[in-house]
Formats: sequence, structure tokens, C-alpha cells
Amino acid sequence: MRSTLSRLITTVALLIALPNAGLAVCNQSSVSQADSDLWALHGCWQDFFLWQYQEYNMSSDDWGNRGWNDACNDNFEYPKTWNAAYLVTYGLLDNNDQSFHGTTDYRQLAEAPDSNFKDAVYYDATDATNIFGSFTYHWPGDDEITLSCNLFNASVLNANPASRAGDFMHEGWHGWLTEGNWDNGSAGGHRPCTPHPDGTCTNGACTVNGCDYFYFHGIGVYAFGALYQTDGTAKRFHSPNQVQVEFLCDVADQPQSWVPASVRQAAAADANQRAAQRFINGPGYTCGSPRPW
Amino acid sequence: MDSRRFRHFVLCGIFAASLSSFGPGAIDAQETAHTPKPPPKLLAPRILTSPPTLADPKRPASESVPTFVDWASRSVIGQREEARKIIVAARDNPAVAEELCREIFEVQKDDLSRSLIMLSVLGEMRNPDGGKCLARFLHQPFPKEGTVVNGEIVEQTSLGVLQAKAADGLAYAHTESGDREVLWAAGSHPSRIVRAEAINAYLWNHQDSQAARKTLLKVVRPDERSFLERPRHAAGMSREDFNRKLAEYAKMHPAPKPVPRIPGKLTIAQGVGDRPPPKVEPTPASRPPRATTEKK
Repeated sequence: MRSTLSRLITTVALLIALPNAGLAVCNQSSVSQADSDLWALHGCWQDFFLWQYQEYNMSSDDWGNRGWNDACNDNFEYPKTWNAAYLVTYGLLDNNDQSFHGTTDYRQLAEAPDSNFKDAVYYDATDATNIFGSFTYHWPGDDEITLSCNLFNASVLNANPASRAGDFMHEGWHGWLTEGNWDNGSAGGHRPCTPHPDGTCTNGACTVNGCDYFYFHGIGVYAFGALYQTDGTAKRFHSPNQVQVEFLCDVADQPQSWVPASVRQAAAADANQRAAQRFINGPGYTCGSPRPW
Repeated sequence: MDSRRFRHFVLCGIFAASLSSFGPGAIDAQETAHTPKPPPKLLAPRILTSPPTLADPKRPASESVPTFVDWASRSVIGQREEARKIIVAARDNPAVAEELCREIFEVQKDDLSRSLIMLSVLGEMRNPDGGKCLARFLHQPFPKEGTVVNGEIVEQTSLGVLQAKAADGLAYAHTESGDREVLWAAGSHPSRIVRAEAINAYLWNHQDSQAARKTLLKVVRPDERSFLERPRHAAGMSREDFNRKLAEYAKMHPAPKPVPRIPGKLTIAQGVGDRPPPKVEPTPASRPPRATTEKK
């Protein structure tokens, strides 16, 4: 009886001590093949995640029941997040002749500190499934990037390290738009689509409710580190989906030699579906190869 | 120095020290603190060597297939040709194609990235039974309901991406039946993702020929003809080649000048991306006035 009581007291104390413990969370029993494959390369690297949580401004308050205290268990959301950060930090080739942008661009865009790209941010998570991720401006204080279960549950296309990291870029770019005082549209920072009687919703060539323009630029037009620059014209500008596609294409086509096939394929698939559906002025280019293997 | 004067001196010192913490020195210190810390030096990633065989005479396909898929999934760019050779060596093995097909249908809703890998292996095999499986996969009905994000049903997108990979395999087969399926998908598949990839794969597998374009133009939706023109960015292509094709395409698909936000404080809606603005209920300044006071 006494042992049962003490166990009960301990449980209650733990529930109080661990923020948000016991609340609904994402599917914590699934991990995608691409996450497992990337994870196997580092085998849970403690020095990295001890650096990562600071550079991405993540805290136990937001991630306490999402693997914060079990950071080597890749079923949880926090380990999956730092797995994606590992890809951003080390996974790109930075090929001047073929990469759209460099690691320095993608890191500054994803990481938390104030930079040429955006104000400082912090990362948290939500159980909501009506978004992939979101950006929220705060004043005073750091802006907020929220990652949803759609980036963690293995049954969803986006629950792989490349797509998750792609979302860091997308949401970070909303920070760039906010910082630079750009109006990218009224549908959550994108242009809305127009509903049709047949149930579809379009805006030019875009078929979802959250459309962007693709401000096409060639390879080498931006020096590495210069992604944040704009001249205020369509010749030198980016939209959130565009930055995301460019990052995903760099993962698919210009990764480091050790990036697994599953991560590259998932990146190409996400880039191509996004390029086909989310741009007003026509579909974006394709990347990856149509050859199956 | 008496104790009062001493206390006054100490307080002045504390006050001066507090003021100095708001000076330029503090700002410098903050800026130094914001300099990103370099990440730890990358340790050599653990890359798998020695691939298993896909068609192993000593083991049933139910064992050899998942073992090979595990390896192939982790394989790196330098192992691509090696993987292709192993896949081609299994081309005439119907048990392997059958097992891949079974597993694809089994895991397609659980793990998208593994499904993509298995569809790639099956497509690369060019096995006749595998082709039938890919066609069956391509014709799976589209989910009508599911998780909605920005008006997009996530389950549709997920299936569409997998079906696009099936279209890649059918186009790569270069068979009459495979091409027939791809042309059907290019014009009639309910998913724009699949239609787009079917067009891309058909063109690529026919060396982007004029004849292939003509064939596609007969089936592609009028509002999707631009899918035939879009550039393909592939590893190994020259920067100049890609940039030239992209510049031509961009001329046909210009974007307007970006719109600056009207100066002023950000509205709540402007301060969010990819989510609806939070609802703010106006709070009344006070209780409304009443005509009479209730008697107790």
C-alpha cells in the first residue's frame, strides 16, 4: 500500500515537473525509413544535439514531452528535428556550378540567431495537423517557428529529414519577408486561390490555397551567403515555397556523398510535388531524375 | 570618511556601474553573443558496404527483398551503379517482383520514404509482373477525405507522390503497355502531381524528342501544356545549359514585381505565416450601463 502510494506521488510529481507531459502528442511509435537511414550515419551524436538545441533555440518547455529527455530515441519529435538539422548543417555539397545556394545560406535561415535573413526565432511544436509548420511574429521577443505532427508522423510524405528541413527554410523565409516588409499575400503569408464550382481552387497555375510566385534565377546568380539579398524586383527575390524547392533540389541533386538514397529521393519527390502545385506563374522546374534508380 | 559619506560613495559607484552596463560595451557584448557557434566537426558517417543480393537463390524473396531494400535505402551516390546492377540481375525473377509489389501495397500508408525506395527498385527492374503491379498502383482510387492543409488533402498528396514514382517506373519500362499507362496518367490522372511527373518521365525516356511532345500534346490538358516546357535540373548537367533553358522558360512565366507592405505596425494577420491569424475577441471596456438597479 505504501509503495503504491509513493509510486502515485512520484508519478504526480513527475507529471507536474515535466511540462505538458501526458498531453496528446504526435505518433511517437513511428519513424520513417529516411529518418532511420540518416540517423544510422551518426548513431545519435550527443555533441551535435547539445550544439543544435542552442543554435535552434529549442527548450524543454516546448519539447519536454517530445523526446527532450530521450534525445537518442528517434521515434520522438525532438530527435527527428535535430536529425533534420544535421542534414542542413553537414549534408550539402556547396557546388558552385550546380547548387542553388550554399550551406551558409540554409544554416542562417534555419538557425535561431538574428542574422541578415531574419530576426531571432525559437522552435516549438504542435499537435495540430492542419499545418505543416508555421511562423509567428512576436514583438517584443523572438519570432516563433512551429513544427506540426505532419513533419513527424511517418505516414505523411513530409515526415523525413529533407522535408522537415525544407520547412525550416519555408518558415524562416516568412521571417525574411516580415523583416524586409514584404507583402506575400493574405493566405497565411501566401496568395489565396479562388474556389470553383467543381471544388477546385486555383490561382494561375497554383492549385492549393497558399500560392507563391517563382522568381526564377539561374545557378550561380547568388553567391553563397547572399540568398538574403534582393533588389526589390522579380529578378532578385524569393518566395517561401521557392526557397523550399531550391533547398530540396540541392539535397536531391547536390548532397554530400554520404547522404542516403531515401533522403535524396524524398527530397526530390517533395520538391517536384511542390513545384507542380504551388506556383502561380507556372510550375517550377523539376529536379532529381525520372529514372527510377 | 564617515559612514554616511562612505555609503553615499558606494551607492554612486553602483549607480555608475549600472549605467555603464547600458553603454556601448554592453551592445558589443550582445553582438558577440549572437555570433553563431560553429557546429562540432563532422565525424565520418557510417556508410554501409557489401550490398546483399536482391534475388538470392539461398533465401526466399520474403527475406532477400527487405534486406536489399534496407541496404539500397541507405546506399549513397557512389553506390548507385552497384545497386542498379544488382536490381537488373533480378529482372527475370518473378518472386522478387511479387514480393516488392506485396510490400509496397502493405507499407504505402505507413512509411512514404520506404515506399518510394521500393517503387524505385521495382521500376528499375523492368520486370513484366512488376509493370503490372506499378499500373495497379497507379490506378488506386484517390482518397476523397483526409487531413486538410491549405486546402490540400495530405493523403492525396502522399498517394500522388508515390503514384508519380510508379509512373517513372512504367515510363522507364519502355513497353507499349507501360507507355499507354503513362500517357493515360499524363492527361487523365486525378492528381496534378502524377500528371506532371508522367509528362516529365515520358519526355525523358523519349530523349525529349519532338515526336514525344506531339504524342503528349494529344493527351495533356490544355492548361497544363506548360509542363512540357519546364526545365529539368539534374545532377551533372552544366550550369550554362540549365541557366539557358531556365531563362527561356522564365520569359514565358514572368513573376510580377514584389509588393512592399504598407508601412506601419504589422497586423495580426500579417504577422503569421502558414496558419490562420489568432482570433482576438474585443474585450468590453466596462459593463454596459443599465436603466435600473435591481432591488435586493
